[in-house]
Amino acid sequence: MTADPVDAALIEALSTATGSTDTDAPGLTVEALAERSGLPPAVVEAVAREGLLHPAPGSDPPRFGEDDLAVLRAGTTLLEAGLPLGELLDLARRTDQTLRELADHAVEVFLHFVRDPVRGTADDADEAADRLVGAFRAMLPATGELVGAHFRRLLVAAARARVEDGPTDPAP
Amino acid sequence: MHVPTRLTVTTRPLDDDRSLVDLLPVDDALLWSRRGAGLAGWGTAVRLTPGTGPERFARAEQALADLAAHAHVDDAVGVPGGGLAAFASFTFDPRTPGSVLVVPRRLVGRHAGRTWQTRVDAADLADDVPGPAALPLPEPVRDRVRFAGSSLPDVQWLDAVARAVKQIEDGELDKVVLARDHAVWSHHRLDPRWLAGRLARRFPDCFTFLVDQLIGATPELLVRRSGRDVLSVPLAGSAPRGQDEAADRAAGAALLASDKDRREHAFAARSVAAALTPMCDTAQVSPEPFLLRLDNVQHLATEVRGTLASDVGVLTLVDRLHPTAAVGGTPRDRALDAIRRMEGMDRGRYAGPVGWVAADGDGELGIALRCAELSGARARLFAGAGVVAGSLPEDELEETRVKLRAMQGALDA
Repeated sequence: MTADPVDAALIEALSTATGSTDTDAPGLTVEALAERSGLPPAVVEAVAREGLLHPAPGSDPPRFGEDDLAVLRAGTTLLEAGLPLGELLDLARRTDQTLRELADHAVEVFLHFVRDPVRGTADDADEAADRLVGAFRAMLPATGELVGAHFRRLLVAAARARVEDGPTDPAP
Repeated sequence: MHVPTRLTVTTRPLDDDRSLVDLLPVDDALLWSRRGAGLAGWGTAVRLTPGTGPERFARAEQALADLAAHAHVDDAVGVPGGGLAAFASFTFDPRTPGSVLVVPRRLVGRHAGRTWQTRVDAADLADDVPGPAALPLPEPVRDRVRFAGSSLPDVQWLDAVARAVKQIEDGELDKVVLARDHAVWSHHRLDPRWLAGRLARRFPDCFTFLVDQLIGATPELLVRRSGRDVLSVPLAGSAPRGQDEAADRAAGAALLASDKDRREHAFAARSVAAALTPMCDTAQVSPEPFLLRLDNVQHLATEVRGTLASDVGVLTLVDRLHPTAAVGGTPRDRALDAIRRMEGMDRGRYAGPVGWVAADGDGELGIALRCAELSGARARLFAGAGVVAGSLPEDELEETRVKLRAMQGALDA
């Protein structure tokens, strides 16, 4: 592990920002998630195994947050509209794979273009740590908003293009 | 079952090397074919309905024997499938009605390069049965095949798999195969002959079958009896083919090395060996499973070969074998009970024995997998997965999703 104080401040900021938007400590069990989402526990466990839920690191039994519940409720909305679970999981796997690559790349970009200049220009380690953590805390929700909004707009545009292309179910 | 009047059965060589599917002149058609060999039939001379219950195989065998006892058979060719023969399709569950044997009015067979035709006539049967088709079937008007829902929603099916895994881990079961279905619809009638031709061309290494609106292309031989020779090739455990030679070999090697697939396969192989070897003087069972590569999927396979100790007919062997652990589970009865409780649907003839049976006890039957039940412009597709200790429900859901998609693609325009 690093002894670098700037990286240490970043690590500390990461450990309290699970990527979630809620401020409560994660504490929902699989059973609680199942009950509150209306899905069988076996489905919740399968979704968790697919990496689509994010239990608190090191929690055993796994503990989840309100964000995970929101994911399950959103999934239930799609299921209730008629989308079969098998198709939903396939879509989720494809999304996950694409987004993971993007997340890795975004982290590299942050390190090269935000961290490096801060370290290069800050007067001391404390100032660097403050500026970096501040940047991180501002950038994380903004990034989420951009990706989410962009996908929603792409979805609408794709549907529009498809419908304008001709009948979605041509007569034989 | 009413045994009809005396049949006159005549088998003669036929000089025709066209594809069996192309010979079918009418819709009321039957097929059992692999790599260009097999049987094609049309018209109905006799329709036997052996009813329900575990005795349905014995009843079918007896009914066919009764027909033969009252028939005049003139077989000038003497190959398996010649003389008095019937296409057969049995339900998976003994409680389910719908098992049937059909003796066609006309049958063309091909075996080891020889082709023959069998005519079945009787005093009370019409005279105007057409001969083999002169031309192949023109492409019918076709339309997309659309999803119309499942008997059990995916969410509940996944939950059923999870409950089955729990039962296995609690020691109540060793293996159970759970299946699900997709209903599909189209604007136009799904043409059985056209679809059978498509399946036979797409899956030449599989047994393409069409019996009483049940159509499919199955890789799995349940049992073949030819005189005293018997063969069964249980399959269980599967992996996709690779995109290229190297990836293909890697996928195959991974399958052979997969603990879960080996365990799943062992139950199937053992259930077949346990059913057949006691009926044989000598038997050989592959010491290790081998890879059976078919178009888009590869399976673990075991060969169980033997020489029968007595003249038991193929349907007696089917009675002992069905259901194998490849489609039922282990222990057999507890698995059947679990399937009834958890699948939320009637399998009908899916995963049942399908093929042909001759009155002399020869026959070849596969397990009706990768199939659809046709009904005008609608169909019901099926897919199953073997659940053992360590199975992940989402993986079984995905495996069946891929299988159903492949079947839907085979039916699609």
